[in-house]
Amino acid sequence: MAEHREETLFFQTLRRALGHPPNAARPAGDLFPAEPSAEERRLLALVSGRSEQEREEFVSRLAAAARPLHLEVQALEDLAAARDAVLRLVAEKSPEWGGEKQLVAWSHPLIESLGLAEPLARQGIPLHLTRPVDSALDAAAADEERRRQRSRIAASFIGITAADFCLAETATVVLRNRPGEPRSVALLPSIHVALVPRSRILADMKELFALLRWEERFRTEGLSNYLSFISGPSKTADIEATMVHGAHGPREMVVFLVPG
Amino acid sequence: MSAIRIRTERYVEEARRGIADPVLRRALSGLQERFGRGTAEAYRRLPEGPGLRQTAHAIREKAIAHLDILLERLARRIRENGGEVFFAATAEEAVGYCAGIARRLGVKLAVKGKSMVTEEIALNPALAAHGVEVVETDLGEYIIQLAGETPSHIIAPAIHKTRNEIADLFAQHLGIPRTTDPPRLTHAARRALREKFLAADMGISGVNLACAETGHISTVSNEGNIRMATTLPRVHVAFMGMERIVARLDEYEIILRLLCRGASVQDIGTYVSFIGGPRRPGESDGPEEFHLVVVDNGRSRMLADPRFREMLCCIRCAACLNVCPVYGRIGGHAYGFAYSGPVGAVVTPLLTGIRRGRDLCLGETLCGACKDACSMDIDLPRMLLELRAILAEGDPGWGVEPSGGLERQAWKLWEGLVSRPALYERALQAGAVLQRLLPRTPAGWIRRLPPPFSGWTKSRDFPPVAAEPFRRRFAKRRKEADRG
Amino acid sequence: MDTVTLFVPCLMDAFRPEAAEAVVAVFEGLGYAVHCPAEQTCCGQPAFNAGYRNEARTAARRFLRLFGDAEAICCPSGSCVAMVRHHVPALFDGEPDWRALAVRTAARTFEFTEYLVDVLGRDDLGASFPGRVTYHDSCHLLRGLGIREQPRRLLRRVRGLELVEMKNSDCCCGFGGAFSVKYPDISTALVADKVEWIRESGAEAVVGADLGCLLHIEGALRRKGLGVRALHIAQVLAGGR
Repeated sequence: MAEHREETLFFQTLRRALGHPPNAARPAGDLFPAEPSAEERRLLALVSGRSEQEREEFVSRLAAAARPLHLEVQALEDLAAARDAVLRLVAEKSPEWGGEKQLVAWSHPLIESLGLAEPLARQGIPLHLTRPVDSALDAAAADEERRRQRSRIAASFIGITAADFCLAETATVVLRNRPGEPRSVALLPSIHVALVPRSRILADMKELFALLRWEERFRTEGLSNYLSFISGPSKTADIEATMVHGAHGPREMVVFLVPG
Repeated sequence: MSAIRIRTERYVEEARRGIADPVLRRALSGLQERFGRGTAEAYRRLPEGPGLRQTAHAIREKAIAHLDILLERLARRIRENGGEVFFAATAEEAVGYCAGIARRLGVKLAVKGKSMVTEEIALNPALAAHGVEVVETDLGEYIIQLAGETPSHIIAPAIHKTRNEIADLFAQHLGIPRTTDPPRLTHAARRALREKFLAADMGISGVNLACAETGHISTVSNEGNIRMATTLPRVHVAFMGMERIVARLDEYEIILRLLCRGASVQDIGTYVSFIGGPRRPGESDGPEEFHLVVVDNGRSRMLADPRFREMLCCIRCAACLNVCPVYGRIGGHAYGFAYSGPVGAVVTPLLTGIRRGRDLCLGETLCGACKDACSMDIDLPRMLLELRAILAEGDPGWGVEPSGGLERQAWKLWEGLVSRPALYERALQAGAVLQRLLPRTPAGWIRRLPPPFSGWTKSRDFPPVAAEPFRRRFAKRRKEADRG
Repeated sequence: MDTVTLFVPCLMDAFRPEAAEAVVAVFEGLGYAVHCPAEQTCCGQPAFNAGYRNEARTAARRFLRLFGDAEAICCPSGSCVAMVRHHVPALFDGEPDWRALAVRTAARTFEFTEYLVDVLGRDDLGASFPGRVTYHDSCHLLRGLGIREQPRRLLRRVRGLELVEMKNSDCCCGFGGAFSVKYPDISTALVADKVEWIRESGAEAVVGADLGCLLHIEGALRRKGLGVRALHIAQVLAGGR
């Protein structure tokens, strides 16, 4: 295969450049350890031993980190408060691109337990839930379903997601990728609402990576095939170094901290 | 090679133009003031302190030393996840692979995130020749694409453009009422590009850094354009300089923190995405196909040379541009290729021709600000000195003949003089006498030196050689002291 | 009596001998005998920077032969000392004896302000120099050798001297050796900014520890007709004697 030969040559060139026999693939040795390092062990113990109170202290760190990023953080005591906060947003904000108000949200137990469907339905505001694409569908039907979902997502002015984790130090919301949890919900709508269960607040990226690599609960899924770090609404300073919020991604972002 | 524009021979001329441009001066001065100082402060505030850069250097050095192993692992992981990996030895192969995908899928429109390696291989014109409309989506790149220009800074490609120029461009190309207000201009681009994102058949991105262990490539942006371009179109092609990789996730974390501080004085970019392959069954968005193109294009030559291997540690954060006094005056276009500033001064000659890029190697003061600012603690001045040695003494491995002619003879003459102190002194005496023939100021400084030294006196007076150099005075003193 | 061996930078020898005399005066004022090998010429830096390493090696060998035995070598130039410390040993990779000598000699070579403050432990030399002065951090001294505070400490102890910091004192002046002649437009752009920052500081004199920078800056100051003096720090520290 032509491709195969190119690849063989490529690696031969590399090995030769590094002063190794060109034809033999080198063993990985200890480049990819099978056990966590001492530092990673320390981090894992730190996270698992953390009390709820300690995690609460992260909330103010999170809020402080979020402020300069134009990221709004609301700490809510229960899901009803979260539901009301969403409804307030719906009432206060207008669709950026005109048209009627529509929302899109992940198919996620946390979001479904908010109970948004009814109050929105009463206002005549559609709430689209992004369900996984049914594997029974043939290719054409699946494509059609994806197109439908996308156009609903693009037409929605608020997109609601949950979050796998939240990093207090950098006010970063971490989303892994799963069927029923499309990335574009956090991308196409003008406003992104992320529901973060308090138990998922971590200090920083170091802790997150240690968990994703080694922790029983998380290591199988690992990073997933698309891991997103989102630290605020989109922005740019490409025009005469003037900061503008709302480049291509959402121009507003709100994090709701909820119990759980 | 024909589409790739290399203009390194125009360094002096373009530098002159940059220096004479007050808009550029103001823009770069502001950038360097904010980012140059800001990055140094950001390194100081790291929990590990600025010493983290040395740690990062070791991580990158180790990765480079095991590049074959890391790339093999990365490719295996991505392929296990349904992605494709293509190893391109040359720019042509890389571009050809992407064009092949475009042809196969009938791609008409591609949206693109900022990627220096795609500039390096001249991807855009090649795809355009295959009938693909390529739209740059990073706002700065979008602006210069509309203007038909090349980027002048790695992170802020349109730094040299004023809001008035951008207002004109947008009024002309986007048909909006003319405005110089950055929020309104940004919104116009946001609207125009949103349509492109939704309509595009292909998304193209670079790779900031790959993690071999987990099999992911990552991209960093503040605008969200890379996420859009790598989520919405049905195929995503990511281009990666082959050296942009680390072994492990915990090592990756360190590099990412330094990248964001070096590039834009941030603790983290707004959007960091880790991509391990195409969408999975059941997912309703994300590309059907994911292709990673790993590009050599001359890097293996750098890898093979122990003098220049260190340059492969670079993660293209552009912290060096933000402190370089030369770059700050001449601007990015003077460097004549994708890479400008101190990184360009080393990488461009190595990738495009050392003799051809001689002005990039020699046209620096070696002030060392770049080394201090480098997020990976790379010794750029050392490599510039090595390049200068290659230019002077030649190097068959790099295809450079030793320099001949007047300059070599001048240094041979100098060598002879410094080896013979009596002759050296006589030369100084001769200088002290002959300089009286030159036009001088009332204070005795020289107004005009003859070529090849006349460059100095175009704008500066030149000091006179002392009638009696120090060593003679000191020797006289010693003799008098001995006598007395 | 303690002795210090003086390595005179070639630029200082040829263009500003009074600065070298000031160095001698400072040491003699401290009770040191100054030994200055008459046969010295150059450490090789100009050739090295231009890429002519063979020629640089010739000069470096001469330097090592002449200074190799000295107990303490003092050189009033950041760029020469950086050359001796960072580059001369590597010039002899593959010649172990020369390399060993180069390493030993480098360990005993000090820049002028570094020697006074760090080795001799002095900052008050009894000098006086009335006037407002600003200090230029030359690149090799600051970034190559890490010397920033020592010159300032010395200047602050000079009676009558008012030290003002200029904007971007650590920014390159654009000399860069042959660069100043081969790339005059860029060099001029850099020194023009430096001159502007000096002017803004209101100083009557700019002081530095590297003569290359000082001659370059002075050349620009004079062409502009600005009456600001450019002095090597030794000239200030020898003042008032």
